[in-house]
Amino acid sequence: MPAAGASAPPVPAPPGATGRETQPAVRRAVRVSDGAVLGGVCTGLAQHFGWPVLVVRVVFVGLALAQLFGVLAYGALWLLMPAASSVAAPGLESATRSGLRPDGRPRRRSVDWGAVLALAALGTGLLWLVQTSGLGVSQRLFWPVAFACVGAALVWRQADTSAQHRWRAEAGGRVWLAPFVARGGWPALVRVIVGLGLVGAAFGLVVAQYSQLAELPQVLAMTLLALAGLAVVLAPWLHRSRTALNQARADKVRADERADMAAHLHDSVLQTLALIQRQAEDPRAVSQLARRQERELRGWLYADDVPEASLRAALTAAAAEVEDERGVPVEVVMVGDCETSDAVQALVRAAREAMVNAAKHSGADKIDVYAEVTDTEVEVFVRDRGAGFDVDAVAEDRYGVRGSILNRMARHGGRASIRSQPGDGTEVRLEVTR
Amino acid sequence: MTQPDGLAPSGAASTAAADAEAPQPERAPLRVVVVDDHAMFRTGVKAEIGRSLAVVGEAEDVDSAVRVVLATHPDVVLLDVHLPGGGGVEVLRRVHEREPDQRFLALSVSDAAEDVIGVIRGGARGYVTKSISGPELVDAVRRVAEGDAVFSPRLAGFVLDAFSGAIDVAAVDEDLDRLSVREREVMRLIARGYAYKEVAKELFISIKTVETHVSSVLRKLQLSNRHQLTRWATDRRLV
Repeated sequence: MPAAGASAPPVPAPPGATGRETQPAVRRAVRVSDGAVLGGVCTGLAQHFGWPVLVVRVVFVGLALAQLFGVLAYGALWLLMPAASSVAAPGLESATRSGLRPDGRPRRRSVDWGAVLALAALGTGLLWLVQTSGLGVSQRLFWPVAFACVGAALVWRQADTSAQHRWRAEAGGRVWLAPFVARGGWPALVRVIVGLGLVGAAFGLVVAQYSQLAELPQVLAMTLLALAGLAVVLAPWLHRSRTALNQARADKVRADERADMAAHLHDSVLQTLALIQRQAEDPRAVSQLARRQERELRGWLYADDVPEASLRAALTAAAAEVEDERGVPVEVVMVGDCETSDAVQALVRAAREAMVNAAKHSGADKIDVYAEVTDTEVEVFVRDRGAGFDVDAVAEDRYGVRGSILNRMARHGGRASIRSQPGDGTEVRLEVTR
Repeated sequence: MTQPDGLAPSGAASTAAADAEAPQPERAPLRVVVVDDHAMFRTGVKAEIGRSLAVVGEAEDVDSAVRVVLATHPDVVLLDVHLPGGGGVEVLRRVHEREPDQRFLALSVSDAAEDVIGVIRGGARGYVTKSISGPELVDAVRRVAEGDAVFSPRLAGFVLDAFSGAIDVAAVDEDLDRLSVREREVMRLIARGYAYKEVAKELFISIKTVETHVSSVLRKLQLSNRHQLTRWATDRRLV
């Protein structure tokens, strides 16, 4: 029967090819945090329309002087324009996360307080000029609006730090919720409180101006009551949002970790493939490289978590070392496991020596290591099917066998025996009591 | 598996056949179906065993595997453990519903105990890893076709693990629920890397007896409901 399945291997669709490209991309203006002074609205608009940033900023400041229209427009745009986000290739993102390459996002510039002070003084002066010239907003409106603007700016600014990318993903787009439900530390909280206080003050001013001052406590009490009611109604929802946010954050961390590991592995596979191409003339080196890579991938994909201070971990590590140094595959099979003690460590070192001997002298193409842990003792067998040798003929000064294996085991209260015949391979048996 | 003893005759036979274009000495080559979701691997296996075995079909997922196996009735199915559509275990289940005697040899890159024991309990007669050499694979297929079991050192290790633990003497000793002393010895030697022939020599028994012991261990592994085995399997999310 002709192999129908083989002739047409399934071609996997390139990831991301479907879905994302079916919709024509609408070019939207986005806020750019790189080089932003406040929210990045001006920078974003400038980039979108191709105008110089300075022009846009001057326009906004000019509009701000006209009945504060610029301020309101800026605020509205700040809310409506999404922040710029960039998605890099998985490998690049992972490398960025683990600090292997410079962060794509430039660090926030340190604030030049002199410039800020100068700008603030200039702005205040201009405002004062406009207000006193009679062209500005009426005094009754000016302070409440100014307070409200500054307060809102503080809160929004807080909701718009670099963490916002994360927040946006985590809070499911409800960015305005973020300052309430996300972690931000004390400064964030203080900023939010001051901002809310300013907004409250604006509200108080309006109330004070339009009604009698005597009624202020009553109005404030009513307002507080209303706010408290609102809080009671919203509390469960806020709480749920917060829980969901924490969950999403934990999931993201896990997913990132997994992605990082996967990226690291793929990277090492790339390295191995490159090395294999370079050393294609040397079959031994190629199979050694392939074997090492296989071990790494297999360990990541299928291995259980092995405690570090266990016989299993120590023995597989020793086998891997010998494999890499000598280029002979070492197959480790284990039944049971135990924690390492002095005796067990000596056992592992002796086993390693036995593997090295087998790899060096036997000429076998594979070494089998079998370890069995019972309630009372640990046994390790190292076996090859190589040349073998006459055990009795081993010279006393052959340090490897005598010193590293037999004497080492004897010193730690264990036993070692070597079985070998020329032409029939060698088996080293090591045991210690637990 | 991993027997140089078994390799020698098969290797010699295949090269002789290839060189002289002579028919196989005994009979027609064994018919094999290769089931694996990686086309590259199927091609590689075909190239390696194609000289000594007749690859009569291929499949890349559970549905096509069941279809191809039922249509071609091969001597042995080389079955990948991880397959789209439910894995090798699903293929075993669905084929054995219709053809209880179909023989399978599991082939995998996964060394995870749950996969290995799972597919053996599902009815495969042996397990080898994909890094196995061509001649060794051919030999393993022969063994499975003859009704024997193929135990790699790793599988033997898993078996010892699964059947380990003190056996309660006072408990009712069901034969199925424990390995005999001899079977344990055989398993231990296989885990140490001994070929069947070497095991036979070591224990002063015939190769046929070794094969009988291994097959009996396979049966116990497949049929035993031993509490410890069940728990061991549950711990590893097998059942």
